[in-house]
Amino acid sequence: MPFFQKDKDVRIHYREEGSGFPLFIIYGGGLNSAVSYPAGPFDAFEEFKSEYRCISMDLRNSPVGQSTGPLDADGAWDALTGDQLALLDHLGVKQFFVMGFCIGNPLIWNLQKHAPGRIVAAVSAQPSGIDPKDPMFLARNNLTKWAPDFMARRPEVSKESVEKFLDRMYRGKDFVLTVSRDFVRNCQTPLLVLPDDVPAHPLEVSLEMPRIAPNGQQSLYPWKDTPENVKLAVRHVRTFLKANRLAGN
Amino acid sequence: MLIIPGGGLNSKIDFYTLTAPFHASQEFMSEYRCITPDLRNAPEGKSSGPLEVDRPWDSHTDDQLGLMEHLGFKKFLVMGFCIGGPFIWNLLKRAPERIVAAVISQPSGLRPEAPTMSYDNNLKGWGPQICAMRKDINMEQVEKFLRNMYMDKDFVYTVSRDFVKSCKTNVLIMPDDVPAHPYVVAMESARLAPNAEVCLYPWKDSKENIALALRHVRTFLKANRPVA
Repeated sequence: MPFFQKDKDVRIHYREEGSGFPLFIIYGGGLNSAVSYPAGPFDAFEEFKSEYRCISMDLRNSPVGQSTGPLDADGAWDALTGDQLALLDHLGVKQFFVMGFCIGNPLIWNLQKHAPGRIVAAVSAQPSGIDPKDPMFLARNNLTKWAPDFMARRPEVSKESVEKFLDRMYRGKDFVLTVSRDFVRNCQTPLLVLPDDVPAHPLEVSLEMPRIAPNGQQSLYPWKDTPENVKLAVRHVRTFLKANRLAGN
Repeated sequence: MLIIPGGGLNSKIDFYTLTAPFHASQEFMSEYRCITPDLRNAPEGKSSGPLEVDRPWDSHTDDQLGLMEHLGFKKFLVMGFCIGGPFIWNLLKRAPERIVAAVISQPSGLRPEAPTMSYDNNLKGWGPQICAMRKDINMEQVEKFLRNMYMDKDFVYTVSRDFVKSCKTNVLIMPDDVPAHPYVVAMESARLAPNAEVCLYPWKDSKENIALALRHVRTFLKANRPVA
């Protein structure tokens, strides 16, 4: 799979399959997000590459991926969003669909904030968000599930830097982490949410997003519990994307 | 878009303003030509005709297809509430080439633990009403009509599970769970039909959820509208 040299420090490993209108796919796994998602509820590339130009990338410094760059505590979410937009620019993509799993949710909202008008429609599956009862869960989760592998691969990065980075990503955040409820209320982009209910993907956030987003929709729930329900949810996604392609975009 | 109102055998145009979860014509008339008939012999409607005791479902399906033919529509979308569920499956059986896509809202179906419920309810409710209005119809005919309509039936009344499994038409199912609209039947039909979708559930319980379900319907119709 190809690499994109964003600048002298940041190198992005990405995947591109299929043709048609671009569908940017952000896989789950927290900061381990990469170009494939074996633990995912469905294989988005396989499902959609016959209809769309599917693009995904390893998140910068995902230990299971090959993208590399500084651990940017000051940039935090914006640094990751900057990588995504730079890759899409590099590939000549102006407008696109975005489908995100898990950490894809805060990254989608940050894309909406930084690139208004470029996202034609968004699908947020198993969205990450802040559970008010345990607001630092995501930070702890990444400290145990991402940080050890990352530090093993990057011994020059100190534990303090990792903690500072996670602190900037997750401390003092609310709801979808990267934007406010008012931003969601004002966002006109069509949104389809496929809810989940695990500690990293609080159901309350899944349900609130489509209800306050003026063009939000929600899939059936639960949908990950059986192959039949996954199929029903994927059909909803396909229809949603098709309708928004036909909307003249 | 043919819209089949709910209300069982009293299915009629003003269902929208009475018990419907949303006003389908008002929701979609800016995008679609919405056509709604009173069901033949709905006591509170204005459609009339013989009580075809030997072909209850098909006589109504004839009316629906005949109306669309009369209006010049070879192909159409269909949205049905309640009794509209069995009617839509019958339309898909009788005229599969004409139905572009179907939205099945709060579908009626046979509840295995109460298989005579629709028969019983209509025998007590609709039967005496129609007999009082139509001197040419008696309760013996009504009983036979309802027996052929509802007794010894299964699932969605008008077609078999095998038919649903083989039906390639895109359908969106909006489940309900009241005695006449069994959730299990709605979900089973959605899981069997190869191109079915299902909306969130519950969806009728709040304005917010109805709005979410309607956005799904609108998307579904848009995605399935034939390109001119």
